[in-house]
Amino acid sequence: MIDLKELILSKDNLIPLLRKLKKDARLIAPIKNEYGDTLFSEIDDIDAMKIDLHNQPQASLKPFFLPQQETLAGYTVNNGEYSFTPPDKAQDTIFFGVRSCDLTALLYMDLIFSKPSKDATYYDRRNHSLIITLGCNQPFANCFCEATGSGPYLEYGYGLQFIDLGDRYFVSAGRGKGADLLKKWAYFFREVNEEDQKKRYQLFLEARGQFTRNIQVAHACQKLQEEAVPEEIWETLSRRCYDCGGCAYVCPTCTCYSIDDMAQGTNHGIRVRSWDACTSSGFTRMAGGHNPTDRSRYALKRRFLHKLKHDYAHHGKPSCTGCGRCVDICFGGVDITTFIDLLTTQKTT
Amino acid sequence: MTNSIAELEGADVLLVTGSNTTETHPQIGRNIITAVDHGAKLIVIDPRKTDIAKEAHIHLALRPGTDIALINAMMRIILDENLADDLFISMRTENFIALRDYLHRLDLDELATITGINRTTIHEAACLYARSSKSVICYCLGVTQHTCGTDNVQAVANLAMLTGNVEKKHSGVDPLRGQNNVQGACDMAALPAVLSGYQNLADIDVRNRFLAVWGREVPKAPGLSLTEMTHAGINGTIKAMFIMGENPVLSDPHLNRVENTLKHLPFLAVSDIFLTETAKLAHVVFPAASFAEKSGTVTNSERRVQLCHQAIPPIRNCKPDSEIIMQLGRRLNCPGMDFDTEAEIMEEISLLTPIYGGMHYDRLAKNWGLQWPCWNRDHPGTKFLHKYYFARGKGCFTITEHQEPYENPEKKYPFTLVTGRGSYHHYHTATMTRKSRRLLREYPEALLEINKEDSDKLNLRDGETVELASRRGTVHIKTKITDRVQPGTVFSSFHFFEVPINLLTLDAMDPKSKCPELKICSVNLRKVKHD
Repeated sequence: MIDLKELILSKDNLIPLLRKLKKDARLIAPIKNEYGDTLFSEIDDIDAMKIDLHNQPQASLKPFFLPQQETLAGYTVNNGEYSFTPPDKAQDTIFFGVRSCDLTALLYMDLIFSKPSKDATYYDRRNHSLIITLGCNQPFANCFCEATGSGPYLEYGYGLQFIDLGDRYFVSAGRGKGADLLKKWAYFFREVNEEDQKKRYQLFLEARGQFTRNIQVAHACQKLQEEAVPEEIWETLSRRCYDCGGCAYVCPTCTCYSIDDMAQGTNHGIRVRSWDACTSSGFTRMAGGHNPTDRSRYALKRRFLHKLKHDYAHHGKPSCTGCGRCVDICFGGVDITTFIDLLTTQKTT
Repeated sequence: MTNSIAELEGADVLLVTGSNTTETHPQIGRNIITAVDHGAKLIVIDPRKTDIAKEAHIHLALRPGTDIALINAMMRIILDENLADDLFISMRTENFIALRDYLHRLDLDELATITGINRTTIHEAACLYARSSKSVICYCLGVTQHTCGTDNVQAVANLAMLTGNVEKKHSGVDPLRGQNNVQGACDMAALPAVLSGYQNLADIDVRNRFLAVWGREVPKAPGLSLTEMTHAGINGTIKAMFIMGENPVLSDPHLNRVENTLKHLPFLAVSDIFLTETAKLAHVVFPAASFAEKSGTVTNSERRVQLCHQAIPPIRNCKPDSEIIMQLGRRLNCPGMDFDTEAEIMEEISLLTPIYGGMHYDRLAKNWGLQWPCWNRDHPGTKFLHKYYFARGKGCFTITEHQEPYENPEKKYPFTLVTGRGSYHHYHTATMTRKSRRLLREYPEALLEINKEDSDKLNLRDGETVELASRRGTVHIKTKITDRVQPGTVFSSFHFFEVPINLLTLDAMDPKSKCPELKICSVNLRKVKHD
């Protein structure tokens, strides 16, 4: 009996395996589209679509679990009688080629959507999902997951974790569904030998040294627990923030949303949940016009403190996963790394 | 722009005039802020303390409408300080002596009084601009929307030529275009007296070239300007109008006249992506496809022609504007209205427009677009203009004299109303941006910026509704007390149809550009009494 926790998959067997997996579930993987953008997309025809494991998908998994806009419920009135329509049911879905940061983000969202009670549509989708991650041997330009403790390889949380050993993948199974899959498709795999193990650890060691950016996340988190952020830092950031909300929308752990009830005619309506962002002044503005976060000075305060101060205090780790997407999207150049740099290069008094 | 946008970051001195850059051109605003962070000096000319003015090393908060006096004063100081670029002037320009003699006759104290800025500050700004060889001027509608708009621009050009701050990298004169493709619309001759690429309509050779391709005579008389069309009244010469993607019922000045004109047109057709206030007056409305539903090019401020790809098929029966025009053309028996692809249309543009000569689709796709002039397929495009020569040969200094705004504050209308865009959450008459719930939430209603000194005098609270009246009309609007505006000046946007601010504005216009004086009119403010 071979150990089903860790196995080797030859790269030649990747597509045959995915083809089998696709029979039982929707398969989603990073796909390069005709414009050259890599996005997580559903695979219809596995031979026609280009699975791209060399570029970071532009969006995280967030839209698959917390869609940009989703209908939570609908109602119809007929002769004074209300009837309600529940939200769409989730499908079994396998995500392949997910990076460590994005899975870490999903684990954080699990936490957020579990309190005070489990969020129905989120958990429906989550329970129907299986995540196959791909450890990062070569971090992308703006990544800093090592500093946030969310990569480049993972130790838990995944269904399966793939590590690229060149001509083969080192596959580890997590609890539950991942192990079941390995059992079901065992004939694609072979056992792990000592050389595979060595290579895996060697690659892990090397990957940690490949980061081009040195972001002092832990230092920043500790500093935020101990002292207030100098006012000048907020001012420096806010003059360059255009509150476009881009950072919050691409962020895999930004979960702010708004719920709107929208009439769809005289007897029908829907309740819609859509992404929102704490950087928008309308998000915090009260009915009387008063706004606790003055945009001109504190546009980004809530967002950064939430990620690095409050979540660190509550969960022991920041809710930034170092994926670097906000660095790419922010055209004002005031992403979270700018904040951390400003904070940690300040002399402590 | 004579420059490329990216060049702004490398400038040593940036003079921003009549532009609320960070809000109206956030991408360019970012470049300016980056330049400042890298050590560049920023001079902002604006009556309001905008966000970009707060970044400025020198903010020249002039009295609205006194740009020429200010720039003349700066030029006189540059002469006095011997900072003019004599070599550039003698090699590249003409008529300098006339300007010099005129400037020498001016009294600096008098000019300073006109602008309301003290002489030392003007002196400082003038020297700062002139002493650097990488000085850039960015200007926007705060310069052009005046009865002396053309002269304002000429004054800006004089200043740049006087100091030799054109023709090289990191120096130039940059009008910032307000829409993603307003440059393209001008390039394609949506102007009364030119054909595409600014070719003179009066030139018989140019007209013949178009005749050969189009198979139709091109009318040789210039057409009318926008304001002439929309303000002609009941007996205007225009009998039928086709308006595409524009909402003059809110955006043009002196709205009562616009509405009166459009309502009495024997035929009005409007093509837009939403049913705008203007479209509501039309006999025929064409539902147009949005940017995401079609392919084509747009030309931005830095003259860059960029390809845009269709993202989704047109919704229901919407059609791209090009399709609407071609179908109309075919039914009117206009030859040549049978382009199969956008690339084919571009080929005709390249054929007829020398500055677009080398802009074929395959090249645009490869290079993130090309900047005109791009004369042929081998030409790499042009990063900055006027190297070696100006379009007309030598740059001509033209004397510009200060003239008072059409309306000045007086007893009955003691305030000056300045209009512009209020926030980057809304664009123009908000026909698109108001459709986004999030954008509308960020900036939900029209506001009148008023200085605390004035609000105290009138006993107004923040957020109180006031009656704002000019000689032409009246609106009710909520106040926002702020130090962004000077005492005596109030500011509002024209985003909201509930507060059609252009009921108040003037249709007095610049005699050359026909651009109306949207920036200045005199108004009165009254507390609205509640019973």
